[in-house]
Amino acid sequence: MGAQLPEGEAGGVAATLAVAPTVAEPAARRRGWTRNLDLIIPGALVGLLLFLCFVWPLFGTVPPPTGGNILDANAPSFSEGHFLGADQVGNDLWSRLLYGGRNSLEIAFAVNVIGLVVGGLLGAFAAFWGSFVDTVTMRILDVLIAFPSLVLALAIAQSLGPSKLHTIYALCFFSVPAFARLARAQTLRLRERPFMLAAGLAGTRAPRILLRHVAPNILPALVTFALLGVGVTIILEGALSFLGLGVPPPEPSWGNMIFEGQAVMSAEPKLVLLPSAFLFVTVLAFNLLGDALRARGNAS
Amino acid sequence: MSGGAPADVRVEVGAPPATGPLLEVGDLRVDFRHGGRTIRAVNGLSYALSVGRTLALIGESGSGKTVSSRAIMGLLPPSATVSGSVRFEGEELLGLSDKAMRRRRGADIAMVFQDPSRSLNPTMRIGAQIAEAVRVHARVDRAAARDRALELLKLVRLPSPEQRLHEYAHQLSGGMRQRVVIAIALASKPRLLIADEATTALDVTTQAQIMELLRDLQRQLGMALVMISHDLGLAASFADEVVVMYAGRAVEQAPTRELFAHVRMPYTKALLDAIPRVERPPHTPLPVVAGRPPDLAALPAGCPFAPRCPNAQDMCRETAPPLEEGSPGHRWACWYPCEDAA
Amino acid sequence: MTDQAVRPGPAIALRSPALRLIGNRLATAIPVLFGVTFLTFAVIQLLPGDAAQQLLGINATQEQVQEFRDKLNLDDPFLVRYFHWLGDVLTGNLGNSLASDQPVTSILSDGLPTTFQLLAYALFISLVLTVPLALLAARNPGGFVDRVGMVTSMAGLSVANYVLAVVLVYVFAVQLGWLPAIYTNDTGTPGELIKSLTLPAIAIGFPLFCFYTRLLRADILEQMQGEDYVVTAKAKGVGPWRVLIRHALPNSLFGLLTIVALNIGTLIGATVIIEQIFAVPGIGHSLLEAINNRDVPVVEGIVLVLAVVVVIANLLADVLYAVLDPRIRYGRSAP
Repeated sequence: MGAQLPEGEAGGVAATLAVAPTVAEPAARRRGWTRNLDLIIPGALVGLLLFLCFVWPLFGTVPPPTGGNILDANAPSFSEGHFLGADQVGNDLWSRLLYGGRNSLEIAFAVNVIGLVVGGLLGAFAAFWGSFVDTVTMRILDVLIAFPSLVLALAIAQSLGPSKLHTIYALCFFSVPAFARLARAQTLRLRERPFMLAAGLAGTRAPRILLRHVAPNILPALVTFALLGVGVTIILEGALSFLGLGVPPPEPSWGNMIFEGQAVMSAEPKLVLLPSAFLFVTVLAFNLLGDALRARGNAS
Repeated sequence: MSGGAPADVRVEVGAPPATGPLLEVGDLRVDFRHGGRTIRAVNGLSYALSVGRTLALIGESGSGKTVSSRAIMGLLPPSATVSGSVRFEGEELLGLSDKAMRRRRGADIAMVFQDPSRSLNPTMRIGAQIAEAVRVHARVDRAAARDRALELLKLVRLPSPEQRLHEYAHQLSGGMRQRVVIAIALASKPRLLIADEATTALDVTTQAQIMELLRDLQRQLGMALVMISHDLGLAASFADEVVVMYAGRAVEQAPTRELFAHVRMPYTKALLDAIPRVERPPHTPLPVVAGRPPDLAALPAGCPFAPRCPNAQDMCRETAPPLEEGSPGHRWACWYPCEDAA
Repeated sequence: MTDQAVRPGPAIALRSPALRLIGNRLATAIPVLFGVTFLTFAVIQLLPGDAAQQLLGINATQEQVQEFRDKLNLDDPFLVRYFHWLGDVLTGNLGNSLASDQPVTSILSDGLPTTFQLLAYALFISLVLTVPLALLAARNPGGFVDRVGMVTSMAGLSVANYVLAVVLVYVFAVQLGWLPAIYTNDTGTPGELIKSLTLPAIAIGFPLFCFYTRLLRADILEQMQGEDYVVTAKAKGVGPWRVLIRHALPNSLFGLLTIVALNIGTLIGATVIIEQIFAVPGIGHSLLEAINNRDVPVVEGIVLVLAVVVVIANLLADVLYAVLDPRIRYGRSAP
């Protein structure tokens, strides 16, 4: 009855989205590839975004995101040399959107990959060994989760000085415990399954069990979680930038663009609306992708 | 109070009541859409049941027995398509709106389910769940409903009924919970009770008690009973008529005595043989039917039992035998039925 | 009416698994609180940067800085300072702000009520709307309301709350002028308080509402499609709305409550940002300032309070579960 949450699952949108209860969704009435639309559309969107942010600037004619000519300040969209216009100091807006996206996505990927690997290993080990190791790890995770990680993130960012790398460190404090919790819960569930007992009885040694049995089985849940986590992380990174503690200006990040654009919102709403739209679409795409994978994972 | 020795439990096969059968199922078919496939769970089931009589629907899991009874109640999921005819007291039930069916559920036809640990709401008190069943079909106030609930608990012979009213499902044992489920089913005085594997999840002793309770209640209240089971032995003790189902259709139908005396369909014979008997020497291997039930999404042409049948011939694999009345009251669907022992 | 005399009385409840559960949770909560405060202390101390330097500014001389440090014992070893602080806390003394010398407790009592009001308002907005919408969606899975609901909720929870805040300010404060853009509560009347907190509460509450609705809907559907007691209820002739509300919903609310409690930490984080945008004088605001100033006592004090809130919230969730779930409240009685 009720959502069977693994005991003490990490808080946070991504954590609970990833383990949301399985529901028999109304059967898709379409056939073939159209039944996978829920996967294809967000997947394509994510692909497009990645292309725009990482690949396009290398080949397309995109002006640099910083060091713009002040004479170009507040240029309207479609003016010469500026596809979407320019910001208050003359930087090309389109360029800032793309490079800002690259920064935000790089941070988000780094944080989630580190979380998956480090947190996943931690959680799986703890659950696997059980007893003392597990209890201690659980307590530590409890602490990290009770800890208003935002404080930590802010403190780190503040004292080390805002930078992309430091933002990654700071945000890892959110992601590693969350992944560890998930990995632990998944591994615990796995331990009860007959094939695990069989492997143990057959004399398979622990590292091998972990590698060949545990890892492949918990990986799907972790990957889904990571996808949902990308969305969460981008928003968090935006929050840090918004507070001036993320990616430092003049380097663009969607967060700091929104913050700077606030001041002139009445005059030039696009300076806020465009990065907000990009942020929204990106997070939405990753959420939809993660959701589609989760639905498939649950169905099997 | 508690059932005494079973004695002669075969109700005499008397003349059917003048008003016609209570329940008439005619060529019932149920299809499910799953993924891209259509699964035919019930494939032309027909039977009739008169007031006060008991019919046993026997089959393995997947034979369509549960699905057919849910179709009668209108409790199938939206992915199901039902066709054919189900007439209750002369009135056609298939095609009625859900609202119209709701008026009949509980009041005319009631159902008892298999797993009492799951078929009761864990967060609602027993008394409230029974009272709800009462108040759905009768305009009575809470006190009256509560009194009726108490009355029902006594009717199903639940010990300490006043206390039980305030308890929750998990506080009762399996047998007690099943009595509660029966009480709920009887709340609005249905004329037909469908017991879907009602005793399967219980231990043998409790099983016997519950079956006897059902039989006694049936006599007391004049209800007709459809008992669904995989246990032919149970049918022998409690049913007037037996319908054996396989792969969604009836393969043999007869009054109980007739069926056991002159079993025809090899499948039924196999089921009979599989009942453990005290007379057999110890360590005799239990004769079990080889093979598995067919895939309902890809039924073979010909008799669905052919792959597993010891009597199977080419004809069986090519054409499905029709269900036909071979001797009075006894129907079977087999080209090469078992002969009587000489 | 109901026979009160026969109900299990409080005596049985005391021996119940519920209280043991609570005791258990409390026992584990204490070390967690220790851990949290220790960790905060460590982090603040070990990070580069100097509180004294920060607070006195660039122009302070070396002597002034040193004098400041001596006065506040900033040069003592880290562990010593932690246990000093801990000892003080246990006697109710949270110290004074390094920056303003204001007692930390007074900073807390200034800001906490406002922050709690904001949080409560946001939670209220999200939860009050969740239940009816989840029910409407679950009534007809795959139907119009359900599809529209799922699409909008997915969009809603993909919006960053600070983005929503900025947009809300633009639309409702700047363009329409219905609600204030900045917290203005000069007169202290409840009306003005609510007006000031409405936009911030929506900014926090709306993405939450989207998230909770999806969760509750999924849970209700799981009950409706997978649980036998639902079929029993339908077989009784109970109508679809009653089955949803009286049977499926109570069993689903547990899951939702657990998640609400687990999410309190995230909620608090959201509040910090939103308070900044709307200049709400809560503790989020004070926290940011204190972090900037490396004002350890204030940071510690606020973190302690926040950690306590998170721990209590989790505890409350467990307790509520224990109290409301009859399987825990009453163990098995003799058959």
